[in-house]
Amino acid sequence: MRTSPVRNGIQTGTIFGIIMVMMFLIGFTVIGAELIGKILGNPSISGMPDLIYFVIFMILVGVWCGVSAAKRPLYGPDSVKDAVLAGLSAGAICGLCAAVTGFIFGSVAANHIDVRAYLVSVSPESISMFTFNQNPTLGALALFGVMTLSSFLSALVAVEVRTSQKIRTMIENTSGSISETVHSQRISDLLNNKYARYGFYLIVAIALIILPRTWGGYWNYVFGTVGIYIILGLGLNIITGWAGQLVIGYVAFFAIGAYTFALLTAPVPHNLLWNFWIALALGIVVAGISGLLIGLPILNLRGDYLAIVTLGFSEIIRILLKSDLLTTFTGGPRGVHDVGGPTLFGSSFNTDVDFMYIIIIAVLVVSFLAYRLQNSHTGKAWVAINLDETVARATGINAFVSKLLALALSAAIAGLAGALFASRNQFTGPDDHQLMVAINVICLVIVGGIGNIPGIFLGAFALKGLPEILREIENYRMLVFGILLIVMMRLRPEGFLPAKRPVLEKFTADQRSSTDPASHPGNLETNTPPGKGK
Amino acid sequence: MESTHKLGMQVCIETQKVSKIFGGLTAVNAVNLSVPEGAIASIIGPNGAGKTTLFNCISGYYKPEHGQIIFYGQQIQGEQTYSVASFGIARTYQNIRLFADMTAIENIIVGQYPRFTANWMDAIISTRREQNEEKIAIEEGRRLLKFVGLEGLGDHLARNLPYGAQRRLEIARALANKPRLLLLDEPTAGMNPQETDKMTHFIRSLRDELGITILLIEHDMRVVMDISDQITVLDYGTKIAEGKPREIQSNQKVIEAYLGPGGSSLTKKYQLRKKQRHAIIN
Amino acid sequence: MENKSSPRFPLLLRVSRYIRPIVGVIIAIFLAWQLYSVIVVQHNFSADTWVRFGLSGLILGGMYALIAIGYTLVYGIMFMINFAHGEVMMLGAFGGYFMLELLRFIPMPTSANPNLNFLNAYPIVSIILAFTAGISVSALAGYLLEKIAYRPLRKAPRLILLITAIGASIFLQNLAMLLFGPTRKNVINPDILDRGAGWTWMVSGNPVLIPYTGVFSLVLSALLMIGLYLVVQRSKLGRAMRAVAQDKNTASLMGVDVDDVISKTFIISGVLAGAAGVMWDIHMGLVNHYIGFLPGIKAFTAAVMGGIGNIPGAMLGGMFLGIIESIGPAALGIDFQLKDVIAFSILVLVLIVRPSGILGEKLSEEKL
Repeated sequence: MRTSPVRNGIQTGTIFGIIMVMMFLIGFTVIGAELIGKILGNPSISGMPDLIYFVIFMILVGVWCGVSAAKRPLYGPDSVKDAVLAGLSAGAICGLCAAVTGFIFGSVAANHIDVRAYLVSVSPESISMFTFNQNPTLGALALFGVMTLSSFLSALVAVEVRTSQKIRTMIENTSGSISETVHSQRISDLLNNKYARYGFYLIVAIALIILPRTWGGYWNYVFGTVGIYIILGLGLNIITGWAGQLVIGYVAFFAIGAYTFALLTAPVPHNLLWNFWIALALGIVVAGISGLLIGLPILNLRGDYLAIVTLGFSEIIRILLKSDLLTTFTGGPRGVHDVGGPTLFGSSFNTDVDFMYIIIIAVLVVSFLAYRLQNSHTGKAWVAINLDETVARATGINAFVSKLLALALSAAIAGLAGALFASRNQFTGPDDHQLMVAINVICLVIVGGIGNIPGIFLGAFALKGLPEILREIENYRMLVFGILLIVMMRLRPEGFLPAKRPVLEKFTADQRSSTDPASHPGNLETNTPPGKGK
Repeated sequence: MESTHKLGMQVCIETQKVSKIFGGLTAVNAVNLSVPEGAIASIIGPNGAGKTTLFNCISGYYKPEHGQIIFYGQQIQGEQTYSVASFGIARTYQNIRLFADMTAIENIIVGQYPRFTANWMDAIISTRREQNEEKIAIEEGRRLLKFVGLEGLGDHLARNLPYGAQRRLEIARALANKPRLLLLDEPTAGMNPQETDKMTHFIRSLRDELGITILLIEHDMRVVMDISDQITVLDYGTKIAEGKPREIQSNQKVIEAYLGPGGSSLTKKYQLRKKQRHAIIN
Repeated sequence: MENKSSPRFPLLLRVSRYIRPIVGVIIAIFLAWQLYSVIVVQHNFSADTWVRFGLSGLILGGMYALIAIGYTLVYGIMFMINFAHGEVMMLGAFGGYFMLELLRFIPMPTSANPNLNFLNAYPIVSIILAFTAGISVSALAGYLLEKIAYRPLRKAPRLILLITAIGASIFLQNLAMLLFGPTRKNVINPDILDRGAGWTWMVSGNPVLIPYTGVFSLVLSALLMIGLYLVVQRSKLGRAMRAVAQDKNTASLMGVDVDDVISKTFIISGVLAGAAGVMWDIHMGLVNHYIGFLPGIKAFTAAVMGGIGNIPGAMLGGMFLGIIESIGPAALGIDFQLKDVIAFSILVLVLIVRPSGILGEKLSEEKL
């Protein structure tokens, strides 16, 4: 079916126009300009970034709009005209949206009405930047012009790139050679070589020993947080990634671990002052048992009930911690201060460097556990339950007990993370245990690659490490998470580093290729089974 | 054509007046069934006759309202599915249900689950027991792959296998638990005549080589008449006939159940032609 | 024969089998004892206080019921917890709020009152406009949510849908926060529908205020529920919805446009949520980006409590939850800060004791 290019351009343009207007309304135009300024090595000093960076930002949006309008796969191989027409109309519509918005807000600002009572992010400065420091009419025209022109030109360039054989072969060659390098025999040999691997481990080990001593307190703090989130991610991965049971209120177990640890080691309110290691172990055990108790009545019900019950449970715990009812027992809304730090052979061991080491060791231990569990029968049983619970039960897996075990282990690992977190911050309070912690953990597991241990490392660095570096987008982080979750689920539900199944039959490479079912496409396509049967 | 396999004296599985009721509908109505050890028994009947429901009762998905299911002298009705599996009853499904995102060999390893004794703690500290079991599991997986003719495809995801291979893999997974009774739900559904012949042969070899008792649901009468020692016919949840293939072929009730009243006259021609064909073959 | 199977955790299994009746009995005894001690022995509150609690519970329950129906409809049709449903209600509340604010800025001077604005000059029209705005925003949000986020995942596993829904919830909540700011906004009603205005009812010598806003909300939610029930039971769309809930494939073979029905289901649940949002504006008087979250989860609780997929169940569950939440803390003699704990505890308890809810689930059965 062939739709007219203008109509498609209008569709794309409308979407981008809405995005554009939304970005302006939430103040992202300013932040975007600021970011571009920072990237170009010229951070703003006096609050507002230079106008030129905003122009670059607008042009970037226009380029994106034009390229995606020209990219729509309904044009023939050499219908340059169609694609450019689409790019032009998309740019025009997008520019129109921006121009109308700019005109309205520009006029409002010209009349000295402050709209911030209703739209907090729309400051007079951001309006004046949006209209290029001109009067409303001129600003709107400029917006329209910039968007249309950039979209049109980018569509033109995109089509040229796409249709030009030379450039295409060039791109193919580059990407081909890159993928060749990545997949080449030599590199895979290197990866499989025992000594090379040991060498790699050695380098990593040395780096892990030296880095915490050299990069200073701030980075120890940032990467300590990342490490704790890795532990949380590995824990959640057991129940959600492998066993396939979504636990939204995972933070409840984090809180239980943190509070168990804190109450046992802090001087107020109970003055127990237990040893770090005993308290840590108890925090893990108590969290694990609470997981068991939560799972016992719920896990034989329909899967998504677990999600909602744990959500309720985590809210109950947070509200209880915050309420006056338990103030004498848990310190109430003010939390527990002066939580004990680790000791080693009687001497204190709680500088930021020491703590980084403890977190690194904890991460290593937990990933080792996760690795072993993944390759065990128990791990395979979890995956089987995830894929088809009915059949898993019919193959003799006690699904209820398996899921219970997974939940208890997950909860225990969260308890470990909670105890470490409380100890490192020397404080724990109800606000450390917001639901957002759990949602962050779900995000990082999914973004990295659900069910995959290296993926969780990647996810934790990306989601907890990057925002620390890009401080500007702090306020927009959750918004971006939300978009990321939706987009990931749609485009790449298996995550950036998807889980791979282990090779167990171990055939040599040439034997495998000769029996590869993909090499008999007819065989596959004509007899594709009718799916999972659900 | 009939099997001449020597049947054991012991009864493998027996259902006594098993009934399963959904709402007001009696899907299975007081069905008695008895399969001797080492037999290949078929359940046939028109669509909606309650065949799969009976299977689901035996394998523990449904708890029958009335009656008993006895497996080697032990009552198993109302047991959990996983314990039924661990008693030694394995099954396949009408619409193939593999663990699609696992590799073929992993499917078989999961099928061996009830035989594992190592638990998660063993896995973490990697005890001798765990290592041994893992090795044996993979060995067994390779052996079964070879047995069902999927050698070399073990490391492919189950979802990427061709249809026939998926069917055989499903049976391999069922065999992994070393079952004493195998329930096959339409093993030749969706296969062409050659594949069907292969499958028929394969099912017979399961019984002959591994000594497994087999209970199957099948629509393809050629297969049923070919391999069954005993046939049970269900219609509207009730057993209407039971016996050797030849007895069933000439049973008035069965013909009527399939073709409606007066159907027996229609089949005369068919039987005549079949006899002629047999004469030619023999 | 030798018994090959020895269940791995026999104790746990036995515990899980008997846990329901045991927990049920323990809770029943505890509740009875608490109620006895609070109402009969301590006698903290007089009758008028109880009436007040009950009244506010009913009003709250009406809103919960409207939101809960949205959950139940979507769950019944798609087997999915539409986690973003609370946010749809929040957007509706903002829609109503902005309409009321807009009308407040339109001057309608008369000779008697030069400061009169549209809101007070035509209060009924204003309220209708506010509801129209809120309902349109919510219905649009529900429609777009389904079309953009959920429709491409029609064949995906349920976990993926649930995560998408969580993503949508986070997105909408934060978008609202970035757009309108994190502060709470006061909703200004027309003067005649002031939150302090109402009838007075004498109970055991003390006056109990029955606010107009509350009565208005309750009546409106009752009307909407009746309307919805008629739509689902009588109309062609309702029949199609029930058919899709039973079996999507068969329904589509019978000529039902499944995508269209699902779309309309989201619009209907958006309409109900939007109405609840504007009621929240008018009765509670405070709006911010976070108001949808807790009512959303609680409404889901209500839907589970009534039996998910069951529309009368959702109504009953919503009312029940609203009343329990406002009477509960007093009746059990605990802190009022803990009223949210009661709601969530009820969710957990319902799932433990009777997972199919009060009126029973109405879902199509899984096929083996």
